[in-house]
Order: sequence, then C-alpha cells, then structure tokens
Amino acid sequence: MSYREYVIAAYAVFALMLAWDYIAPRLAIARQLRAARRLAARRAARPARNDRT
Amino acid sequence: MSDMNPVLRWFHQLGSPPYFDRFATRWAPWGYVLGALVMGWGVYGALFQVPADYQQGDSFRILYIHVPAAWMSLLVFGLMALYSAIALIWRIKLCEILAMACAPIGAAFTVVTLATGSIWGKPMWGTWWDWDPRLTSQLVLLFLYLGVIGLYHAIDDRRTAARAAGLLALVGVVMLPVIRYSVVWWNSLHQGQTIRVFGESSMDPSMLPPLVWMVIGTKFWFAGSLLARARADNLQREAGKDWVRRIAEAGKA
Repeated sequence: MSYREYVIAAYAVFALMLAWDYIAPRLAIARQLRAARRLAARRAARPARNDRT
Repeated sequence: MSDMNPVLRWFHQLGSPPYFDRFATRWAPWGYVLGALVMGWGVYGALFQVPADYQQGDSFRILYIHVPAAWMSLLVFGLMALYSAIALIWRIKLCEILAMACAPIGAAFTVVTLATGSIWGKPMWGTWWDWDPRLTSQLVLLFLYLGVIGLYHAIDDRRTAARAAGLLALVGVVMLPVIRYSVVWWNSLHQGQTIRVFGESSMDPSMLPPLVWMVIGTKFWFAGSLLARARADNLQREAGKDWVRRIAEAGKA
C-alpha cells in the first residue's frame, strides 16, 4: 500500500463513524415516535373506563 | 419564578422534558451542520493545502483526524463523568440523560482514534499495534465506554441504570490523566506532546490551521450528536406522556 492509500483508509473510517453518528440517533428518535403513535392508537381503540360492570 | 435570574430560569426550564425536546429538536441540526462545515474545511486544508511532511510524507495527514478524535475521546469521557456526578449528587434527570448520551459518541471517537492510529502506525512503525502505554490505556478507555453503555442497557429501570453506569464513568475518570501522561511516565513508542495550548508547539505553524478547524468542528458535531441522542433517550423515558403523543402525531422527527 502507498502512503496515500493509508490516508484514504483513515479518512474513510472517520467518514463512516460520522455517518453512523448522524444516522443512529435519528433512527432512535423515529423508533420512539413510532412506538408513541402505536401506544396512542391502542389507547384510542380501548373503550373509556366509564363505558365498560 | 418570574423574578429569577434568566440564566438560572433557563436551566430550570431545560430540566423539563418537553422543553428539552423542543430545545434539542431546534439546535441538534445546527451542531451537525456547523460541525460538518468546519470539519469539511479542515479536511480540505489537511488533504490539499498543507505540504507533505519531510519524513512521513503524505501519511502524516492522518493525524488531522487522529489527534482531534483522541482529544474528543478524553473530553467526552470527562464531560460524561461530570454529568454523572451532577446526576448522582442532585438527582437531575436531564444530566443522567446527557451523561448516557455521551457514551456512544465518546466510544465512536475512541474507535476512530485507535483505528486511525493503527493505520498511521503500519507505514510509520511497521506494525498495526503495539502494547505501548498510550495505545493500551486508550484501549482501556474504549472498554470503559463500552462498560458504561452495556451497564446502562442491562438494567431495565432507566434511573437505576443511569446511576450504576454513572458510577462506572466516575471511577473511570482516573484513566484520563493516565492516558494524558502515559508518554511522560513510561518509555513509550508513541511520540510525546507535539501541540501545546500554552507554549511553543513542535509542529510547523503552516501545518496547524487545519488541525484547529478539525478540533473546533468535532466540538460542534459532538454538540449536535449529544442533543439528538439525548432527545431519543428523553422520548423513551417519557413514553406514554401526552406531550410525546402530540409530537408523534404531528410527525416531528
């Protein structure tokens, strides 16, 4: 390998880390909001307590 | 509350989960964008403006990511320990969240430090790895980060988990001076201090500007990532609350 190839490899590692560091929290936020929507839908589908003796 | 010092009032407001969510949603993208722009400028300088080193040739350009990443790995651990201490002493929930959000970012910077150091070491030292004091202590730091992350996710109750992981972060802070002074205390293959904040650096001034940009850029990036990760954890802890449902239904990702 030439020196330049080592440099490219190192910068590629850094770029991959930054990409992961950007995407991972966005995916986590989207997952939490999806879970919140599912929970809200389940609660809406459940009859209100007074309508259920 | 209305006649409270505005800065103090802002800190109190920030402790409110919905207020923090709005704050993080607004400012996280700014951290990412500013970080990417400043680091982009730094990378351009490192690859195309700075002359090749007279001994190391082009391979020295790796140091423009290795050094800022290494500094971040130490800084983030210190910050994580500080947040953990505040969370343990004053039981501030937001500090628990911020401390735990630091761990994966710090671990990522530590991985980059070890990987880029290794990639630089192969052509310069002739080996990918050496059980040198600096390299070994940095590897221990990575294990500490992984320990904090693992402990936080191993306990179901988030507050108990954050306290246990925070305690590990506080104990681990002893590694920071060990890493910093490992090249002074022991006979090390790793070079000594090249860049000094106070005093003269042994690096040629023509080579410094891209390094400064990279150091600043990584800080902005970290701020963006910290807010985004803390927001995700905050949403998880507050799952089922009305304010979370309203945001979810409004589709604010």
